[in-house]
Amino acid sequence: MATEESEDHGHFLPAVRDWPRGYGEASWWPFFTALGLLVVYTGASLYVIGQGTDMVAPTVGVGLFVAGWVVSIVGMLGWIYQAFIVDFWNRGSHNGGASLRLGMLLFLGTDIATFGAGFVYYFFIRTGGWHTEYLPESGLLTSVLVINTVLLVVSSFTIHWAEGQLQKGNHQRFIQGLIVTFLLGAAFVAGQIYEYSEFILHEGFTITSGIFASGFFGLTGLHGMHVSFGVILLGVLAVRSLRGQYDEDRHVSVTTVSWYWHFVDAVWLFLVAVVYIGSVLGTEFSPF
Amino acid sequence: MAVSPELVFSVLMGLLLLVVAGWLTRLEDWQAYAPVGGGGYGESTGHGHEEKPAGLTRWLTTVDHKDLGILYATFGLVAFAWGGITAMLMRVELSTPNMDFLAPFGGIGLYNALLTTHGITMLFLFAAPLIFGFANYMVPLLVNADDMAFPRINAIAFWILPFSTILMWAGFFLPLLGVDIEAAKTSWTLYTPLSRNMAGTGVDVFLLGFHLSGISTTMGGINFIATIVAERDSASVPWSKLDIFSWTILTQGGLILFAFPILGAAIIMLLLDRNFGTTFFAGNGGGALLWQHLFWFFGHPEVYILVLPPMGLISLILPKFAGRKLFGFKFVVYSTLAIGILSFGVWAHHMFTTGINPRLTASFMAVSLAIGIPSAVKIFNWITTLWNGKLRMTAPMLFCVGFVQNFIIGGVTGVFLAAVPFDLVMQDTYYVVGHFHFIVFGAIGFALFAAMYYWFPMMTGRMYDRGLALWHFWLSIIGGNVTFIAMLILGYGGMPRRYATYLPRFTTWHDIATLGAFLMLFGQLAFVWNLWQSAKYGKRIDSADPWNLKQSDQFTNEWRWYESKRQTMLADGGDEETDADDAETPAAD
Repeated sequence: MATEESEDHGHFLPAVRDWPRGYGEASWWPFFTALGLLVVYTGASLYVIGQGTDMVAPTVGVGLFVAGWVVSIVGMLGWIYQAFIVDFWNRGSHNGGASLRLGMLLFLGTDIATFGAGFVYYFFIRTGGWHTEYLPESGLLTSVLVINTVLLVVSSFTIHWAEGQLQKGNHQRFIQGLIVTFLLGAAFVAGQIYEYSEFILHEGFTITSGIFASGFFGLTGLHGMHVSFGVILLGVLAVRSLRGQYDEDRHVSVTTVSWYWHFVDAVWLFLVAVVYIGSVLGTEFSPF
Repeated sequence: MAVSPELVFSVLMGLLLLVVAGWLTRLEDWQAYAPVGGGGYGESTGHGHEEKPAGLTRWLTTVDHKDLGILYATFGLVAFAWGGITAMLMRVELSTPNMDFLAPFGGIGLYNALLTTHGITMLFLFAAPLIFGFANYMVPLLVNADDMAFPRINAIAFWILPFSTILMWAGFFLPLLGVDIEAAKTSWTLYTPLSRNMAGTGVDVFLLGFHLSGISTTMGGINFIATIVAERDSASVPWSKLDIFSWTILTQGGLILFAFPILGAAIIMLLLDRNFGTTFFAGNGGGALLWQHLFWFFGHPEVYILVLPPMGLISLILPKFAGRKLFGFKFVVYSTLAIGILSFGVWAHHMFTTGINPRLTASFMAVSLAIGIPSAVKIFNWITTLWNGKLRMTAPMLFCVGFVQNFIIGGVTGVFLAAVPFDLVMQDTYYVVGHFHFIVFGAIGFALFAAMYYWFPMMTGRMYDRGLALWHFWLSIIGGNVTFIAMLILGYGGMPRRYATYLPRFTTWHDIATLGAFLMLFGQLAFVWNLWQSAKYGKRIDSADPWNLKQSDQFTNEWRWYESKRQTMLADGGDEETDADDAETPAAD
């Protein structure tokens, strides 16, 4: 969190450059963000109510769901902008970013648990009686999978390389590395959309296609959302670096986002090993 | 025309909201000047300053941990009222064997809805937010941090809570608006296949709200860990001097980190099952057992998420009125960490009767019995702290001692339940209900009451009314023991839990339990009235040491902060801006 010791106050004021202006400990963004989340969940509720009754059209719920996300994402961006980005070079770095780095590690801890619940379901059914009829007709091991895996693994190296260039003071190469990582991530998302459309439109393998489909779409969908979110974060990093932010000493968000990115990559490799390959091992689709 | 249950509950909810609205308008009047440094209300310094806007805007926009602490605590008390009302309605219904009192309002269905919302409200909307309230206010002061690590995330996490509560309680008030929806009747454990197949969108709305509230808790947990680890002033508060309450909050954060996301994921899976045709908990998919595994992998650590910080509060407050340092401080810390780790290895003791592998039940029994040891270590430490101490029976101290008594009964009955043969007999009886109410009300509730009285002078600058506090204590401890011991006896007699009706032979003990519930109700009315009145008209305290803690050399960091705040208020006529150096100087006698 952007924090600073202002000159005339011994007390810490976390929100000096925030909206509403002119105060040190007031910000509308948290309330705004939480309100957006309320609209998101209310939208989901109305969608469900619309499905079950004719009181409200399901489209109303979907509309609110989307609108709520817009509000809360605007809220989060406003918060990030006023807490971190505006006046970047003049604000001091609070405890060297230790809280922020720890915060990211802790968040990744919660993410292990979130993915864990999904994997537990998959292992639960995989260790039961297993049958190829659970799988899509052409199997899971497609060329898209190979390409996507390569893209994501390479992107982990490119962001690491970019970080290294930043630490050497080579800002131009750092920007190039970031943009390449961003593009690789975006290509992965496109690849997954293509893979989904192949399964859903051409093979009729959807989330309701049985016990494996639930786990498959649940886990890959959750992972895909993580990659998409990471691409947004990489985009923010790229814009900030293009505006001249970050140097050898000031790059906390580069570090935290790269941790996030490596984590998402690691989850993908685990997912490929146990869900994609693990589900066909011992069946007629197995290449081994 | 029959009075519809929706109408009755909507009126109740409306009254509740009116109380909140009334409170907010009061704040508006009081807070036209918004004291600097915050964390207090009703202080008539009459001086403006520029750190926070005035009026309602101040409370909606604040990122100050002390303001958010007060908001959390206020929210927790509002939820406590709703949880209490639902409990009383159930207890009144249970005073007769047949469906009588609730029959005109919705009968057994309503009872099941009350049962569900009572459990969820007390655990997730009363206990946890009140703990977060005290932790928000005190932990940054105790560790000499300027604020929480992430002040804005702190504010987001708070505001999510009342918003998620709207969805979680929607099943009770939406019907008034003409929405054809019923409150969830799944019980708080949300067991599948019941929760998966139960018709009605009220369950989905409730689940969505529940999921949202979990996000809030997870954010809070991350924030507390980051605050204690990274924002702590390591010069004045090294790890070796970290206070016991912060240790328990740190451990709680660790548990939240891995428990709550599991619940969140499981809720999403359940929602997908209910609405999008997935098979996560379907008979041919994960089945009912998978839900129970996931739920209790969250649910048992949740027990310690709720009980460890109250144990920390007791460990912090009890020595202050015994005139001695906490006996065996290190062992209390070690036992806290031990409980935190072991808590992830006991979940299947909720599932002894589900037919899982007997070798598994044996190992879960072993770990569950083992977790009793660090809990007992704490009990002995509290008792030895009292031993030969100069006891001062103030209201917070009474609640501390009450905590120890209730926790012994709640804990020992828990050790019995951890044993497979005993559990096979007692599973799903009132014995279990009595056991966990001794913990949730008798221990967790009591610790929160103790903390409320202990820090009341700091938060408001006024003293509570001691007479009312004594009424609160005695009615709570007598009422609590009457009700919950009656529940234990009902359990021995074979009375199954969750039912709205029962065989006539259980009537006597049910009536005794209802009697105790009324005693508790009157006690809580005294509590709320006391807080309300004393915050407004209570006697102003004349020093920053209302408990004479300096005498026994126990004047801790949060009081030092308060002392320097008061001094600067006096020195420059109301500007509460504290000097960081002053805040760290040990108070001279």
